[in-house]
Parts: sequence; C-alpha cells; structure tokens
Amino acid sequence: MEKIKIGLPRALLYHKYHIFWEDFLNRLGFEVIVSPETNKEILKKGVSLAIDESCLSLKIYLGHIDWLLSRVDYVFIPRIVSLEKKEALCTKFMALGDIARNTFKKEIKTIEYTIDIIEKQWEIFGILKAFSKFEKNPFKIILAYRAAKKLERETEEVKIQKQFTQIKEADNEKPTVLILSHPYTTYDALLGKPIVEFLKKQELSLIYADIVPKKEAMELSKNISRDLYWTYNKELLGAIEYYKDKIDGIVFLMVFPCGPDALVVNLCQHKIKNVPITVITLDELEGDAGLKTRLESFADILKIKKIQDGKRK
Amino acid sequence: MNKDNKFYLGLDIGSISTKGVIIDKDDNIIAQSYLWTEGDPINAVKKVIEELKESLGKEVKIVGVGTTGSARELIGTIFNATVIKNEITAHAIGTLKFHPDVRTIFEIGGQDSKIIIIDNGIVVDYAMNTLCVAGTGSFLSSQAKRLAIPVEEFGDYALRSKKPSKIAGRCTVFAESDLVHKIQMGHTREDIIAGLCDSIVNNYLNNVGKGKNIEMPIVFQGGVSKNIGVLKSFEKITNSEVIVDEYGHLMGAIGVAILAKQSDKEIDFDFEIKDLNFRTSGFECGGCPNNCEIVCVLQGNKILDAWGNRCEIGREKALAKYKQ
Repeated sequence: MEKIKIGLPRALLYHKYHIFWEDFLNRLGFEVIVSPETNKEILKKGVSLAIDESCLSLKIYLGHIDWLLSRVDYVFIPRIVSLEKKEALCTKFMALGDIARNTFKKEIKTIEYTIDIIEKQWEIFGILKAFSKFEKNPFKIILAYRAAKKLERETEEVKIQKQFTQIKEADNEKPTVLILSHPYTTYDALLGKPIVEFLKKQELSLIYADIVPKKEAMELSKNISRDLYWTYNKELLGAIEYYKDKIDGIVFLMVFPCGPDALVVNLCQHKIKNVPITVITLDELEGDAGLKTRLESFADILKIKKIQDGKRK
Repeated sequence: MNKDNKFYLGLDIGSISTKGVIIDKDDNIIAQSYLWTEGDPINAVKKVIEELKESLGKEVKIVGVGTTGSARELIGTIFNATVIKNEITAHAIGTLKFHPDVRTIFEIGGQDSKIIIIDNGIVVDYAMNTLCVAGTGSFLSSQAKRLAIPVEEFGDYALRSKKPSKIAGRCTVFAESDLVHKIQMGHTREDIIAGLCDSIVNNYLNNVGKGKNIEMPIVFQGGVSKNIGVLKSFEKITNSEVIVDEYGHLMGAIGVAILAKQSDKEIDFDFEIKDLNFRTSGFECGGCPNNCEIVCVLQGNKILDAWGNRCEIGREKALAKYKQ
C-alpha cells in the first residue's frame, strides 16, 4: 500500500518544531514532504493569496502550502493557542488552519489538532484524536509521540551545548552578536538567512536567541518584563538576559507587520542600556542598500568597541 | 617633487552629489571636488577625478583609494579601491578629525538621514531612516519647486518668519497637503517655509533621533546642513549650539581617505583611469525561482565584477556571459 503523504510547510512553526513533527509522522508510517526553502516564487504566491494586513511570515506560509497542495494528501497544521498558563501566542497560530481552509477551500485537506493549556487541551489528547482515523492502536501513537519528543529534547540539548562551546571558545577580538528573532525569521532563506550570512562575513560570531535553556530563559524574562504574555517573545527576552554578559551586541530581526514584536522592540530599546541593539525590519519590498549600510556600520561599531575595551583591560 | 610623498583619494558617491578629496599623509586636504551625481555615478566620479587633477596642478603619487556612499561598491570595484566603507563609519572618522570632541552627528542628505552618537572618540550608536524619505533633501527640494522658490533661498525665507506655521512632518504626502492647505488659508510663504524647516527637524528628532542621547558638541552635516533655516530650527528645538563647518559636505570623503591611509594595502593609482570606458549591464539570472537581478561591471568587454546574486549560479552565469 502506498504511504499517505503529509505535507509540512517550511515556514512559521516548522522552524521550531520540525524535529518533533517529522519524526512523529515518520514513526506512524507517513511519507513526510517538506516544501523547499522559501524562494521568490513562493513569496509571490503567498503575497497574492494572503490578505494585505497579514504579516510577511504568514504570507510566506500560504505560499508554502500552495507548493504542497499538488504533492501531498494532507497538510499538517496544528493549532497552538497556549503553551503556558496565563500566556498566549500570536493569534495567527490559532487561526492557521482556518486561514488555510478558507484560502484554499476544497483544494486542501488538513490534519489539525489544538494545543491549549489554559483550556486543558494537552497536545497528546489532540494528537490521539487527530490520528485515530489513520492508526487504530492508540498506544502506537503514544509511543511515537514520546519517542519523537525525546529526539526533540536531545537535539535541542546538542544545539545548546554547541552554542555554549562557541561562546566559550570565542575569539577575544571577534564580537559576539545575539540574533534576536523568531526561528521562522532567522532560518528562512529569504528573510533571516541572507542577513545572517552577511553578518558572518563581517567577522562576527553569531549566537541565536532561540537556542537557550527554555525554563531558565522564561524565568529570566521577568527581569525585563513581568507582564509580557506572549510565550515566544518571552523566550526571546529571556535569551537576552541569559546571554547578556557574553554578547557585544544584539541584532533584532523583525518581520513587518508584527504586533507583539513591535511592542517588544520598544521594550528592549528602553530596558537594555548597556548592549548596543540594531533593529532590522523585513518586508516584501526589496532594495538592500540601506540594510547593508546599517549592518556594516553596526559591525564596525562592535569591532572598534571590542578593540578599545580590550586595550582598557 | 618629493617621490616619497604619498597621497590618498577619498570618494563619496551619494544619491544626489559626488564628493572627492585628496589628502596628504598628515590628513591635510590638498584638493577637493563636489559635483552632482545626476544618476550616473561612474561619469560623476570621472569628472570629480578630472577636477581633482586640474586643481592639483602637479603630479602626485596616490597610493590609496577609499570609496563610501550608496555607490561605493560599484565605484570601488571600478577604481580598484583599497577601502570600501559604509557612510556611517566614514562620516564619523572624518568628523572626528576636525572635531575630536564631537558627541553627536546629525546628517541629512539627499535621501538619507542619520544620527551618529560618539563617546570618547568611538561610535557607540547610530540610526538611519528606513524607507521613508520625509525630511530629507529631496523632500525639501520638491517643496521648493511647489512654492517656486529656489531651494538655495529657502534658508533666508525661513529666517524672515516671525511665526512659523505648524506643518505635519510625519509623512511627505501629509506635509504636502498640509502645506497646500496653509497656503490657501493665507499663511505667508516665509511662515510656511519656516514651518517646513521646523517640521523637518521634528520629524528627524522623532524618527531617526528617537531615544538617542543627544549631547553637545553637535555637528550637523549633509546637503541640508547648508540650509540656514533648518540649522536654526535645530538650534531652537534641541536648545543647543549646532556646528556646521565648511567641510561638512566632504566629511564622508575625508573619512574614507583617512581609512585608506590607515589600511595596509597600497596601490599605484593612475589618473588616466578616468579615460577608460566602464559600463554596467544587468540581466535576470533565471537559474532558480529566485530569479536574481545580476549587475555586471565591465571595462570594455572585460567583466570586473558582478553582484546581486544570492548563490553561485548567478555569478557563474555572469562570468560565462562575458567570457573572452
């Protein structure tokens, strides 16, 4: 029997959860198809499908779904409402499934389930329900879930250790810069990657805010704000606190228009005084001359400061 | 002529104007030139080099070339620059030469506006306008056209005003409709122009200068700094003394010439380079869905460099296209 094909759009939370998602689906015997790295065609398609006001990341997401439609049986779209009590996620993560179904109408078949900790809808319950029509034995689903979660934890740990080693072995003359952005911005081939590559060429050592011990980061985020309730933004803020003694500068990558980020950027600029921050806003318009000037001069500032600080010591 | 004397050329190629200076090993300016770019940076630089050569009146040995400004890569490639540096660093280095104690640099150019914060002689913070050109030189000159006043006389008009009109400075489009409205209401041109100057300054301080620690001494540069109306508005609104000096427009070029001097690389620059034929040519790669726009820089039919590509395919295609 041919395997059922499940499509994962390489956008939004894919960049955060792909280890778990891919492994879990493989274990249940599905063929997993991931859309390619974002390219201009996917972007163009996404922009034409989405409503004007949605953020660039969501537009890209729809472009990826469009690529998948002719190639898969189902598109995998979990609905993530809340991951912690008294916290929330951006509404687009709640609405993804609805937006996708409403955009593609009859063309799309989705696999969806809800995670909403506030309403006591834990992930495993949602998964059991969503996959019961494919796998009659619930224990197999639970085993696959556990194994995939374990792999996710282990991979995460390896990434964190690798980043720690990089910080420890950091060159004394090479400034360390924290890339502060959501994984779906940082690792997107059109959004974050070109910037990351450019910064590397400027001889900076880059570390990433999404690679951080999560629990500690969440606790530390309270030093910057106690009231912030967007889970993913809290993680990012926590990462600043966690790494603040080890970094020389912060590059905040923000996708236009992002409500939570717009607030958090201002919050950071007010609260973080001794680490230079530069904010880069990404949108679908091109023209990167100003962008390069900005990044280059930021790198210059950090390098000169590093040398001066070195002399003082 | 002493053959051991080494000189350095700095070129600042902006959207509106192109600046060139030649400095000696003690950073003294021995030649300078300032011309309109007129949408053709290569020719503008050729003319600048021509002017510099004429004003020198003698042969000098140039061993370093630096470029800055928005066309720095293009011109840097063509003229084999030893240093290609962004405007912010170049301006800071140049300004520190003349004002070693400077803390804040305001710069408003043709399409860019920037603020640079300096502490103890090093740049510690900066900001730059993003996509919006409200409050830059091109905004001023388009309003000047609307009022049929030469932009050079703007400053004098502003100074004559007793009560500047309030003009929305948030956005060029709104400012313009506001301006038309004030004209219809019967405000004098003097008041409106003074209001425009105020709105440029407010816009600058609220956007580019937002959250920045503005300390004296303040140096104001860029084309708009030549407008006395804007200068007075800056002094009034920041309540501090703002310095504009005669070399303000050349700071980027001077800075990058100093950087060329500091670099270890030396070249043998030939003034005759201005007579060579350079051109650019573009094509769409088509190697993948990204379809990058590739720009090739050519000397005659020989390719010097190509850019705009996201991956190697674009570069290979460019090289193949102009293979000898």
